[in-house]
Amino acid sequence: MLAVLPQLIVSGIATGMLYALIALSVTVGYRATTVVNFGHGDLVMAGAYATFVFVGSGLPFAPALILALASLFLFGVLTQRVFMQPIINGPHLSLAMMALAIGYAVRGGARLEWGSEVVILGRPYDQGAFMVGSVVLTMDDLVISGFVVALLLTLAIVFHITPIGRLIQAVFQSQRGAALVGLNVHAFHGMMWGAGAALGAAGGVLLGLLVPLSPDLGVYTLIRGFAAMTLGGFGSPFGAVVGGIVLGMMEKLLGFYVSTVFIDITAYLVTILVLLIRPSGLFGQRATVRI
Amino acid sequence: MQLSKTFYALAAVAALASPALAADNMQGITATTIKIGNLGPFSGDAAVFNPLNFGPEAYLRYINDKGGIHGRKFETVFADSACNEAKGIAAAKKLIYEDKVFMIMGNPCSGVAMAIKPMLEQEGIPWMGPAANPKLTRPTSPAMFHTTYTGIESGEAMAGFALSNPAIKKIAIVEHSNDWAHGYCNPASDFIKKNGGEVLTRIAMERGSTDGTTQALQVKTLGAQAVLGCLYQPELIILLRDLQKFGVAATVVGALGADFDQTVQQVNSPAAVRDKFFQPYQFKAKIGTPALKEFEDMFVKYLKKDELPKAGPPTNFYYFGVPVGIVTVEGFRRAGPSPSREKWIAAIESIKDFDTGVLADTVTFSKDKHVGVSRMYAVGLDKDGKQTVYTAWGKPLPE
Repeated sequence: MLAVLPQLIVSGIATGMLYALIALSVTVGYRATTVVNFGHGDLVMAGAYATFVFVGSGLPFAPALILALASLFLFGVLTQRVFMQPIINGPHLSLAMMALAIGYAVRGGARLEWGSEVVILGRPYDQGAFMVGSVVLTMDDLVISGFVVALLLTLAIVFHITPIGRLIQAVFQSQRGAALVGLNVHAFHGMMWGAGAALGAAGGVLLGLLVPLSPDLGVYTLIRGFAAMTLGGFGSPFGAVVGGIVLGMMEKLLGFYVSTVFIDITAYLVTILVLLIRPSGLFGQRATVRI
Repeated sequence: MQLSKTFYALAAVAALASPALAADNMQGITATTIKIGNLGPFSGDAAVFNPLNFGPEAYLRYINDKGGIHGRKFETVFADSACNEAKGIAAAKKLIYEDKVFMIMGNPCSGVAMAIKPMLEQEGIPWMGPAANPKLTRPTSPAMFHTTYTGIESGEAMAGFALSNPAIKKIAIVEHSNDWAHGYCNPASDFIKKNGGEVLTRIAMERGSTDGTTQALQVKTLGAQAVLGCLYQPELIILLRDLQKFGVAATVVGALGADFDQTVQQVNSPAAVRDKFFQPYQFKAKIGTPALKEFEDMFVKYLKKDELPKAGPPTNFYYFGVPVGIVTVEGFRRAGPSPSREKWIAAIESIKDFDTGVLADTVTFSKDKHVGVSRMYAVGLDKDGKQTVYTAWGKPLPE
């Protein structure tokens, strides 16, 4: 039974990378606006379908991906400006419900077009498998992990080194203060909501390389993303990534050594346990926010 | 004497009141039309199954085009259940009490079918559908009929095909944790145990899974020679892909929640499916061959563009749905020019060895048997990648 342990860990990391990207994309929006986008899973799904549409129209995969991410960025900006901004000073519950409603609307639209069929995005590379010792690695594992690591490094630079990162930090800490020093907080919110949507869309595309597309594609993954955020610490990009990877490994290990039933419930168990034992997660800061 | 008067008065009131409670036994029938309710998942995450509603609908339109039955044409009222019990009950109520349909046809979702069963029984509304839950018609319900295979027939066919390979004894079951999956895999498990096989494990793979590593490694570690996958299409594709990834050589037999052609195409790896992946097969011949060509032509001619697949020919689910329409119509043909619910039910129960022209088995009903078919084949790709229908392991059905 222990012979498969390295495989479970490696596969767990590969799966966890995907959760990490979803968690990271929610975190970006959350850090900028302090609003958790409960409709984010549907943007994940929309990213995959947008790429599918662009590829179907004859574009090569890479331009189709870029166009899809740009479309979702624009969609994110617009939804923030048109739907979220007008109620931004209302209760956070209203904002959460609005985000959820937008997500459901997006899902409904996808169902109108693709509700009756399962479609495949198709990989732009050959799905080879490699043996590293006793561990099987696939191109999917390498592509997803490589993409997420590259994104993580980029975001780390953006958050910690560039002026934009300092602006994000300023808005996260005090929106009023940021506005007083001349920052256009509204525009900034829109841009970051768009960035979160584009990152989520990237997660959707990577997910679409692994599984058939369906309008509910993002729903199942979002709960993993939330669990990863909770485990890593709300608002912490690094924590989101660590949380995703740990969650991915836990699912595989509990699923194999205890029961496959745990694969589906690990995310919920992690959320419950973290909120009870260490609400700030592994890397989050203790803070009081309205939700 | 006083008691007797009261008794008769109450009896009279009850007699007058009862027609208002139960649906009129001619409800939905006019001199020129027969109104049928077609209940199905036209929206929601199970909309992929709605070809099971359009298959029978194509047949009703075909019959209408031929002049109808005894001078009456079929008029279909579609209702969306979204495969959700609450929505399904509301939709069925609308069909029965507002649209006043004669019967409900279609209804591929077992959960919804079970949820509306008490209402159908109370109102005496006939039901003919492809929902796989055996409890719908076992024990028999007076007006409910399965002219397609339930989970029992399909589950036993899955296990039977695997065990027809003399080299297969150890079998793992991978399934969703829902009624639909248990409807297939419980009978399959019983069949394996009764017929000299061994169920090594029953492991869960839930809806929305993005990875089947854990399940594939368990199958490999336990040394299973075959896997029965009571899974919907997306998860079945993932399982097949990951079994291949980890070099698991086990034969995989999937349930009918996936379309065979689409599954093979979407796994996109010949090595993962050739001579390895099979499904119970409901039809008398291969789809696309002359024996079933008339049905393909019918679907294409009588269904609207948005009722057909966006690309490619009509899929397995259209063919699986069409017997529901064929046998429903046969009931009206046999019920004569003045049909009522009682006559239609009696007509259906009189059907013996009826060839639908599409199913692998002929249809036989009786008063005590409301599941009309049992024999199934299996479909798979042979070593050369040619789609083949098998009567048992290594025994292709003559074309």
